[in-house]
Amino acid sequence: MSTREFTCVVCPNGCTIVVDVDNDETPVVTRVQGNVCRRGEAWARQEVENPMRTIASSVPVNNGDFPLVSVRTNRPVPLARIREVMEEIRRVSLSAPVGIGDVIVSSPAGCDTEVVATRRVRKIV
Amino acid sequence: MNMKNGTIPTICREVVVIGGGPAGLAAAIAAREAGCGDVLLIERDRILGGILNQCIHDGFGLHTFGEALSGPEYADRYISKFRDLQIEAMEETIVLSLSRDRVIEVSTRGTFQRIEAGAVILAMGCRERTRGAISIPGSRPSGVYTAGAAQNFMNLENIMVGKKACILGSGDIGLIMARRMTLEGATVEAVFEILPYSSGLPRNIQQCLNDYGIPLHLNTTVTGIVGTGRLEGIRVAQVGQDKAPIPETERFVPCDTLLLSVGLIPENELTREAGVDMDAVTGGAVVDDSFMTNVPGIFACGNVLHVHDLVDWVSVEAGEAGKYAACYVQNGSCALPCLIPVKPGDGVRYTLPRKVSGERDFVISLRVAAPWRDRSIVVRSGEREVARRKHMRLHPAEMIRIDLRKESVAGCSSLEVVVE
Amino acid sequence: MALEYDVVVIGGGVVGCAVARELSRFAVKVAVLEKEMDVGFGTSCRNSGVLHAGFNYAPGSLRARLDVRGNAMMDDICRDLKVKIKRIGKLTVALDEEDEATLHRLKEQGDANGVPGLELIGKDRMQQIQPGVEGSLALYSPTSSIISPYGLTIGLAENALANGVDFHLGQQVASITSLAGGGWVLGTKAGETFTAKVIINASGLFSAEICRLAGISDYVIYPCRGEYYVLDKRLDGTLKALIYPAPKKNAPGLGIHLTPTVDGNILIGPSAEYLNASEDHSCTADVMKELRREGQELLPEIRMTDYIRNFSGIRPKQTPPEVGGNKDFVIEDRKDVSGFINLLGIESPGLTCAPAIAEMVRGMVERHIPLHPDPSFNPVRPGSTFFFSELPAEERASMIADNPNYGEIICRCEKITKQEILDAITNPLGARTLVSIKYRARASMGRCQGGFCVPRITRILRDEFGWAPEDFIKRSTASPLFAGNVRPVKGGGVR
Repeated sequence: MSTREFTCVVCPNGCTIVVDVDNDETPVVTRVQGNVCRRGEAWARQEVENPMRTIASSVPVNNGDFPLVSVRTNRPVPLARIREVMEEIRRVSLSAPVGIGDVIVSSPAGCDTEVVATRRVRKIV
Repeated sequence: MNMKNGTIPTICREVVVIGGGPAGLAAAIAAREAGCGDVLLIERDRILGGILNQCIHDGFGLHTFGEALSGPEYADRYISKFRDLQIEAMEETIVLSLSRDRVIEVSTRGTFQRIEAGAVILAMGCRERTRGAISIPGSRPSGVYTAGAAQNFMNLENIMVGKKACILGSGDIGLIMARRMTLEGATVEAVFEILPYSSGLPRNIQQCLNDYGIPLHLNTTVTGIVGTGRLEGIRVAQVGQDKAPIPETERFVPCDTLLLSVGLIPENELTREAGVDMDAVTGGAVVDDSFMTNVPGIFACGNVLHVHDLVDWVSVEAGEAGKYAACYVQNGSCALPCLIPVKPGDGVRYTLPRKVSGERDFVISLRVAAPWRDRSIVVRSGEREVARRKHMRLHPAEMIRIDLRKESVAGCSSLEVVVE
Repeated sequence: MALEYDVVVIGGGVVGCAVARELSRFAVKVAVLEKEMDVGFGTSCRNSGVLHAGFNYAPGSLRARLDVRGNAMMDDICRDLKVKIKRIGKLTVALDEEDEATLHRLKEQGDANGVPGLELIGKDRMQQIQPGVEGSLALYSPTSSIISPYGLTIGLAENALANGVDFHLGQQVASITSLAGGGWVLGTKAGETFTAKVIINASGLFSAEICRLAGISDYVIYPCRGEYYVLDKRLDGTLKALIYPAPKKNAPGLGIHLTPTVDGNILIGPSAEYLNASEDHSCTADVMKELRREGQELLPEIRMTDYIRNFSGIRPKQTPPEVGGNKDFVIEDRKDVSGFINLLGIESPGLTCAPAIAEMVRGMVERHIPLHPDPSFNPVRPGSTFFFSELPAEERASMIADNPNYGEIICRCEKITKQEILDAITNPLGARTLVSIKYRARASMGRCQGGFCVPRITRILRDEFGWAPEDFIKRSTASPLFAGNVRPVKGGGVR
């Protein structure tokens, strides 16, 4: 068993949450302390058992008014899978125009998310 | 337009907004929505949205839209509205001067002109503190960048600034760049922070540093920059309570890149030129609760007024400034006399506005001087307690807003804000 | 194949460039070999930017003679070469009786040196010149001036180039061999070979090393660093003249002072620290602290946000630290080593003296090679003395209408336009570093130190000239700015 300490990011209160964890290989939360609300507890459990992250990156664009289009996952992906998702993003290139929300990669690394464009890139003539 | 004879073309606009970032966009939209038909926004870049364009990470708009948008998406919400309202914009146009009587000189490709404005809203944002501003000793190799400049290179210009980086300052831009560089294959050795606490959001500490095993060294600063051509490394040392480096703790950290995330300075050169009174603590203008400066008809909002932590509050504040600027041009003044001073007391670094009318509801923005737990922010008028807000956690990096109703300050001759 | 010249000038600092320009008046083949990627990268562009009047030097010394002459030449030079100069004058101020005696002595010395216009003035005149200045007596020297050291060095070089001088940048001299029948062969680190009838050693900090390559071992150069702070333009106009304390023996502190620059900044400095290495342009914590302290004392209005940069320059001193002080310049046409003209220990007031040194060197060269005036010599460098933003509004409006690039501001702090950036990067010397752009266009010299303009300059160079990330260097190929693209670009270019 081990304990881990987090500053909760759910709201500005920033509770210091202490979590008791069994089995560090596939962690299981046994106790959560220090949170003032239930959202904090749920968040802390998730942070220990399967932290999820939105990731942002860039994809090259040919003939665009910017050389890159910014992208992000529209749903969070497991922290442990970020490197694989990045590998897939790195393989993509696009041609202008690109619109906000255009899906660039579906289910990267098998994750339940899409990589979408977050800026417009106009075609240059 | 004939300029050969030495005359300078001059146009008139009711409300002129300087800066097309989040503050300028929201101010222009609000001025238009308040009924001003003649709003002009001036933006020096080729696109609207300001610094949001290079902030490709998510987390913007949680308050306003209930979504964690990226910077460009957040900007696009406002740009779309701005375009729908058919507000006039001059892009790639830089303001060269601003006079007290609101004459603006602007320069753009092919044109130099003057604009006479009924009201001016200053929304120029802020710039980053540099190596020179914080006096880091050492040589002058390449590879030392402000974090925001590096972010611009990476996210807008497709240029990698280096492969092995250290970061000085734990402000949010530095933390975001630590993650960004890591995900793009660079090694980030560490983040160094001279203060005993981080100046970034807890979420960013977790998700940008801890997730990737990047150490954050508090009470530590860079004492030397080493390298004749490209940066070869930095010397770092722990600091004592007086923030002076402790020589025996000094060590060398090899790296080819140093990013500086050591604070932001409101970009107020035009403001000073126009004769606006400045607040030495915020580095921005002194404003009343209509966001008007001491110069009638000149308003300020967003990061040029005081550096914000969340863009959502920039938009809210700018919306107020836009509304009052429209009111100013419609009525010749907005202009309830603002005679009640608001001042920061114990534990509070600054309050904004510095004067209120007491005749309308208002918001006091403030920052505390140090981190605390389980304290209250109290607004007082002499012995009388006007408002009290409990906070489990107070942090200097986070801006606090206190909404106050005009009824609650009735009869007050001055207000003081303290931490208890 | 060796490149053949009549005269090879080693060193593209202000002295080497002045000599090259002087010789370009004549029908001789001249080359300048510079080890850096641009002229002026050594001490010439790392100093206070002051033209001295000439009262501080012993009568009859080279420094006294060349300074007064050089100062007098500067009006024509700056007009012809489009160099910024401001004849703001200097007050050397007495605070006590000892100082007053010093001022009387300096006045006499200056008169003996032929310094024009020297006056001892009282409180009223002092206050007229610089309101608030302390002291009851001052030596007023109207010819003390401020000048752009970048403008002067680059102006001299470009005009020399236009009049036929070859500039070889990035060529560090590694060997010097005398030929049996007279003349020299010079080999460079980069593997180039040059021949010359006459060598002029104008290599500043490295002049003793160059001497040794030619078999002269008489000299040692003791590098002595001076550190500076650069202050924001917010304080522009605070100093109406140069204000120096009367020189004192064994004065405490660094003896530093405030110097306004022609571009509207104020410098605090320079310190004086002897070094072991000739090229350590570091700034050090202790000196920086002392500069801030003394600066604050001299100008209480300075705020923390006014400090925008530090830099240092290195003086090529001939006196070791235990001796201190100054020695007169060495300017010699070696008798024992024929055809080797040696300029050594040219520290302050070298900037002021440069054109006068060039005249003196011309006389020495003439003893070796006949110098026939070149009728095509044109002393005038095209272009403008002023940055675009300094022109009257009407003129700017009309220029922008003619050339839209003048309407596009790239450096927000210094208000430098796209056209000025393009002019800087297409400079005739072919210097292509970021510092070269900075020295020419002032971009990135302002309060944000390039945070705003460097990404924009990068974009211009990419779009207009097709530069890839690896083409961007700060000062030399050893100082690349970038590590490549974030994402690979199809077709090889950045786009």
